Amino acid sequence: MTLAETQALFHALATGGAVSAGDAGRLVVSTPGLEAEERVGIYAGMYAARLVDALAADFPKLRGLLGETSFAGLGEAYARAHPSDHPDIGRFGRHLAGFLRLLPAPDRPDLADLAALEWARSEVFFEAHVEPAGREGLALEPAGFLAARLRFVPALRLVRVHHGAAPLWRALEAGEPPPPPAAAPGAVAVWRNGFDVLHAALEPDEAAALESALAGEPLERVCAPFGGRADGAEAAFAALSSWVDDGWIAGVEPGPRSAA
Amino acid sequence: MAFTRKHIGHGIGLRTTHFPEMLAAPPPTDWVEAISENFMSAGGRPLAVLEKVRREVPVVLHGVSLSIGSTDPLSEGYLGALAALAARIEPAWISDHLAWGSHGGRYAHDLWPLPHTEEAVRHVVGRVRRVQDRLGRQILLENPSSYVSFRASEMPEWQFLSEVARRADCGILLDVNNVHVSARNHGFDPIDYLDGIPADRVGQLHLAGHSDRGRYLLDTHDDEVPAAVWDLYRETLARVGPVSTLVEWDDHVPPLGRLVQESERARDVEADARRLRRTEAA
Repeated sequence: MTLAETQALFHALATGGAVSAGDAGRLVVSTPGLEAEERVGIYAGMYAARLVDALAADFPKLRGLLGETSFAGLGEAYARAHPSDHPDIGRFGRHLAGFLRLLPAPDRPDLADLAALEWARSEVFFEAHVEPAGREGLALEPAGFLAARLRFVPALRLVRVHHGAAPLWRALEAGEPPPPPAAAPGAVAVWRNGFDVLHAALEPDEAAALESALAGEPLERVCAPFGGRADGAEAAFAALSSWVDDGWIAGVEPGPRSAA
Repeated sequence: MAFTRKHIGHGIGLRTTHFPEMLAAPPPTDWVEAISENFMSAGGRPLAVLEKVRREVPVVLHGVSLSIGSTDPLSEGYLGALAALAARIEPAWISDHLAWGSHGGRYAHDLWPLPHTEEAVRHVVGRVRRVQDRLGRQILLENPSSYVSFRASEMPEWQFLSEVARRADCGILLDVNNVHVSARNHGFDPIDYLDGIPADRVGQLHLAGHSDRGRYLLDTHDDEVPAAVWDLYRETLARVGPVSTLVEWDDHVPPLGRLVQESERARDVEADARRLRRTEAA
């Protein structure tokens, strides 16, 4: 058996779950104390356990909500659907929210949103540090304000959710009973302050504004979602101010100068 | 072709549970080993801790995902990230395992053993050379613990390791616990292993604990170094001389003081071995 054939068969046995005595026996040596099937089975057990452990590190609240056994079952099903395709095991969980969205649990349709929030928190934790700009660094000429575009620090995510993920996360963090799932389309911002990861639910107009700003739209369009309010200008100013104060903004790009 | 050993003393692994103490004071150890993949991110707390520690003591990068034995192509992305981390940290050396853990682009995140064949030796040697060229330095390869012996194997593990190290001109990170675990699991004499490897290529030693599962030993790194591994460490030092040694404790990680205590025990054992060698030489 060539090296490539050996690896193909061993990989299939160690990641496929069930180990067949015949295949294992063709590949590895049995001893009186430990048959070939059992020997390969040691690797199969470790494969599943290691991937479930990796998910548990990134999704502690989801694990707490489901319990160890159900979480392990979810992790093994996820590993079958999305085998790791990156050398960094820390990237393994990046499809879990999407996986849960496709296969929602009947009694907890909010698991995908909780997973999306936890994954965003994990990503933000490892993002590069870019010094945020303070208010003094964002001075803009009034004439160029509407055409300017904001640059954000890498450690910021906007997570779209269909249920109240933030209240669920907060209850689990506090060790309180999880609230029942409630359909509540919304958005959560996730960012980092020093080494601490923070998140907060956003009002619909602020979420739309942030989404627009993250997409590189000029401030004229970023502020547009607040237009429906009687105090639209004040609300837009308050939102932009909080983005600066929370350290989300790295800088501002002036818009193109209009021809004289 | 030669391998130059650097003795930097006795180290411990950098683990997240010890980050607060590592940030508060210089590490209470000669050097620190960091799992390469845990610090390949663009930023965040782990990298900040590693950079702080590096300003105070030497750091060794120890990888688990190089998959040097895989028949998959080497990951250029992975090598690029490792080279970037090495440029940032300037490690004393870089190591990974004589193992494989990827197939068809899928990663098992495990250290699977290779069949000990001439084909596998040639395959690994070519890849080690490419990695060393890419990184601009020699690497060290660690012997994994194992639970299977492939029917295709043509030589004992120590000969396989030796052939790879000599032909690829790389160093050996000898995991003494893994020698003990594999010896028990496969029924060979661990002394044959120690006698069968080129002592001058051993650049680092690992010590660790394991679990006795009755019919086999499982390499768990979740407890203190057991007596049998200390005995084998003494046998190792008698053959290869003083070597930079690290105590691995990756699960049920103890308080930092307890881990350092275990590392200091290794220092004491090495001091005894030095005295014994001097006495025998006199």
